[in-house]
Amino acid sequence: MNEGDTLLTVEKTFSQDDVNRYADAAGDHNPIHVDPNFAAGSQFGRRIAHGMMIAASISEMMAQAFGQDWHKSGRMKIRFRAPVFPGETVRASGTVRSVRQIEDATEVAVSVQVTKANDEAAITGDARVRIE
Amino acid sequence: MAVDYSKLTPGQIVSHHTYQLDEDMVGEYLGAVKDVSDLPLRDDGRRLAPPMSMAALSLRGVVQDLQIPGGTLHVGQEFEFTKAVTVGSTLECEATLAQNSVRGGMRIMVVTSTVRDADGVEVMFGKSTIMLPEDLLSGDDD
Repeated sequence: MNEGDTLLTVEKTFSQDDVNRYADAAGDHNPIHVDPNFAAGSQFGRRIAHGMMIAASISEMMAQAFGQDWHKSGRMKIRFRAPVFPGETVRASGTVRSVRQIEDATEVAVSVQVTKANDEAAITGDARVRIE
Repeated sequence: MAVDYSKLTPGQIVSHHTYQLDEDMVGEYLGAVKDVSDLPLRDDGRRLAPPMSMAALSLRGVVQDLQIPGGTLHVGQEFEFTKAVTVGSTLECEATLAQNSVRGGMRIMVVTSTVRDADGVEVMFGKSTIMLPEDLLSGDDD
């Protein structure tokens, strides 16, 4: 893997049922995600997906690219920049920013983001992994 | 009892739970995030859990114990996975308040999470930044 390389993208569309299911799995039933009446009165006007649910696409992309090394040494620093509404399609993508030798391992740094169909960034950040 | 966020101090442990990252939880998680990739196998044949399923679990106690109100914004997140975890693992999740401040009508809280396996080995460190509208919080007190 070299600087400038791009990772295979991960694209998904989450339904409200998926959001409800994530709420159950994560134990996060914040009404902004699951209660249509509450969400209608929020700044977003409707329910939004959990940020962590969207961020999972980045982790899936990194696991596809780096396998068990991602599980053992993955690091990610992200900002949630825009809400994702149920029914929207999002795409996780990554570009290798640097590859460097650190002690007996190679550290790969990747600029990552999740964008919506209108190219708005929902998540931006950095991910790193050590390849032994 | 309602949480008085203004009284929480940095360094304070705000949540401490032990969870089982079992087949059901991982299956529910994978279904929700539509991850159909095969879970990697360890040398002993046990399947590795998706790192973000562990991350989700680490935040469960925080959401519940801090009684995070609707309208709270999750604005930033950091993770560091330091050991692969297998499906079926028992995980001890502890969250500590790292920052608690108010700016522009928003309460900004930074919570760090440490996850350890059954041997006490740290497997994940996380840092969550959340923003809670102060008017929302005062409304809760009415």
